[in-house]
Amino acid sequence: MGDERREEKKGSLVLVARKSCFGLPTACPSCLPVYIYLRFADASFDIHFDVSNPDSDHVPYVEFGDYVAFNNEKGGVIECLKEDSIVDLDSKLPSLSVPEWVSTKAMISTWLAEAVQYELWVASDGSIANKIYFSDLPWPIGKILHWKQTRAVKQLCGITSLNAVEKEAEIYRKANIAYDALSTRLGAQEFLFDSRPTTVDAIFLGHALFVLHALPDTSVLQNSLLKHANLVTYAEYLKTDFLEASSSSSIPRSPFDASSSSSMPRKNASSRWRSEPRPKAKRERTEEEKIFRRRAKYFLATQLVAVIVFLSLFGGADGSEDAGDYEED
Amino acid sequence: MADPSEKDQNPTGEEKKEEKEPQEAGNGGGEGENDDENGEEEEYEEEEEEEGEGKGGGGPPTEREKVQSLFRRLSSGPVRLRVHDVVIRGNAKTKDSVIEAEVLDAFRSASTMQELLQAAGVANERLRRLEVFDSVSITLDAGPPELPGTSNVIIDVVEAKPLTGDIGIFTKPEARSWSLEGSVKLKNLFGYGDIWDASGAYGWDQASEISAGLSLPRLKAISTPLVGRVSLLSQDWLKFSSYKERLLGLSFGLLSTTRHNLAYNLTWRTLTDPTGMASKSVRRLLGHSLLSSIKYTYKIDHRDSHLRPTRGYAFLSSTQVGGLGPDSKSLRFIRQEFDLRGAFPLGFYNSALNVGVAAGVILPWGRGFMDLPSPLPERFYVGGHSSPVCNLSGPASLLGFRTRGSGPTDSRRFIPSKSDDSPTFPGSDVLGGDLAVTGFADLSFDLPLKLFRESGIHGHVFVNAGNLAKLTENKFKDFSFRKFGESFRSSAGFGIIFPTKLFRMEINYCYILKQFEHDHGKTGIQFNFSSP
Repeated sequence: MGDERREEKKGSLVLVARKSCFGLPTACPSCLPVYIYLRFADASFDIHFDVSNPDSDHVPYVEFGDYVAFNNEKGGVIECLKEDSIVDLDSKLPSLSVPEWVSTKAMISTWLAEAVQYELWVASDGSIANKIYFSDLPWPIGKILHWKQTRAVKQLCGITSLNAVEKEAEIYRKANIAYDALSTRLGAQEFLFDSRPTTVDAIFLGHALFVLHALPDTSVLQNSLLKHANLVTYAEYLKTDFLEASSSSSIPRSPFDASSSSSMPRKNASSRWRSEPRPKAKRERTEEEKIFRRRAKYFLATQLVAVIVFLSLFGGADGSEDAGDYEED
Repeated sequence: MADPSEKDQNPTGEEKKEEKEPQEAGNGGGEGENDDENGEEEEYEEEEEEEGEGKGGGGPPTEREKVQSLFRRLSSGPVRLRVHDVVIRGNAKTKDSVIEAEVLDAFRSASTMQELLQAAGVANERLRRLEVFDSVSITLDAGPPELPGTSNVIIDVVEAKPLTGDIGIFTKPEARSWSLEGSVKLKNLFGYGDIWDASGAYGWDQASEISAGLSLPRLKAISTPLVGRVSLLSQDWLKFSSYKERLLGLSFGLLSTTRHNLAYNLTWRTLTDPTGMASKSVRRLLGHSLLSSIKYTYKIDHRDSHLRPTRGYAFLSSTQVGGLGPDSKSLRFIRQEFDLRGAFPLGFYNSALNVGVAAGVILPWGRGFMDLPSPLPERFYVGGHSSPVCNLSGPASLLGFRTRGSGPTDSRRFIPSKSDDSPTFPGSDVLGGDLAVTGFADLSFDLPLKLFRESGIHGHVFVNAGNLAKLTENKFKDFSFRKFGESFRSSAGFGIIFPTKLFRMEINYCYILKQFEHDHGKTGIQFNFSSP
């Protein structure tokens, strides 16, 4: 492209995710799939670690100049990236596999995600969560946020002191069903759908790597996963292939590249990118509202000034106020 | 030398002013000189303005003679007198030890009548400063007849009502503007002179706060008052910098005198952006942080008036060091502010020239500090509607610019869309600066109408300038004083000032002399408020 700013940084995509440990590029189970997705798409990006927002769902997010895709908007980072055509893995998915693809994705995103959350926050002793989320925060804040998050996860899973045992059994049962289904689906193939990686592969690989590397050996979930040899091989193979290979320096293949410099989008003449338009009627209304509000402010201000002038002229303000310490002795 | 009789000379209740007379509990050595005070009943009431003058208030000539002879004796030389006992009356709830702690050491050192009367005044003031009594009065009574040269001190107190509430408009030292505050105070709950208060405040800059505090006049050996406060504060900066601030803090006032102020602050701060529109620089700084800092303020104000200074000078230096404590993950920074003001009277029309200059700098410290950013809420923001003349608030105000209306900015998030419409610029966030300098000159004068003069309304002409620069994250390499000087924002104008009891209002016409891209300065008529 010849744009100086772009050549300065190696690709202007930046992924902001939680910290890396346990041998994983980012150890948080919601950030890892996004990382893997970008790797599968062969996009070059920089990773930046965010340590102060352990309890916020806007992390992970992807920045591209002034454009940002947060995880708590429009279905998640991956969905945003696909919708805005920045990085899209699933564009060539055959339409026949779409229903099964969608339900597999839903199964991983609900059953398996819930199982991981349960293991991370409720079932374990909290040391893993501490290491990933709170190790860079001051101790009192970390402790309080950890407690808050544990309570939130329990509420989300519907766990109370009465049904804790049944809930746990149900969570692990669903996880087992999911693993069986995925194992059957995968068979001896390289990827779950088609012969190329899709979003489902990214999400499942993120989950599998987290379970295998971050959870302790006593983890029930890890043991269930280890029973399915083809899933484990799949995870390890893809990890070596995509994650441990040196990051490519290729220019992002996304169609977004076609537009001019992204860091100054407002000067962009490309038809793709316009700032979000407001419906015309609403804009006019807002103009009127603004004028009305301004006039109302002037009116109120005049009233206030009149009252104050009256008070000060006829009420008699105090003259120079000294500090009020009267002399003693 | 008149013989003091055994008569009671105390005009009961008439002239019991609010005085306290420190008294020693008779620890002095047995120096009871057998003067004519032997076995006398004398009561002296001390007025604060007149030392050692008892008012006999039109008694019989012998009384007057007695009093006059007493004065003669007092003025001729020291009259030896020591304190035998301190009697405290009227304190149903307050512990004796609290009152004694305030007054005893003042009485301890008095060994003559004159010193005793002086010490009484001091103790009076101290007890009044506790703020838990409605009235205090001290009388000196003669000591027991068998001990010559002694006197008893009787302290009568009337305790204040325990519960008070009030509403008002205040400026707190940390706040950069004024706020409407309502508070409820519980005085002397446990009898130690403790004052508990709970208050809620709503500030002009969209800040709301709930806090509760405790102030103790003294804690065991520490003789300065201790103040502790827990507060929950929420401040909305979405319009200017796209973040919302929530603070849960604990602060302790360690030392507080007229000139010095030392406070420790432990705060859990959370910065969030519910709109998701923040710029990259602000987005990187969102999240939780722990602030553990000590702030020392030195302030002298020798100007003749707070509403309209015409002569004198004032100086403020405020140092805040953050990151104290074993945890290396709390925010580490050093923030220093200076503010110097001077007022010079000019001869005509009661006019005066006020000039001032203020500067501040904030820098992080610790390993790799040159790459670290400074914390966002602690940076300097120049702009706003409060007048710089009266309050010493550091480099903060620049008339003519809106709140946070100048300095470095960053463009907000860009939201793409697919339809063909003209792009609207998303706006920019004000980031504040690490180095700030402001200055002003203000000439105030009386208006010709006598009506205005009497009510204190006067006019003024002013010019002010300010600038901000970013030094952190390696930007100091690009910094040069020449560039900094060339990029000063400035404005000038004139207006009328209405000083009222609650606040000082100005109606000004401001003309912006120089502003830069992304600044929000507007030429026109403005209202500026400041707290007296």
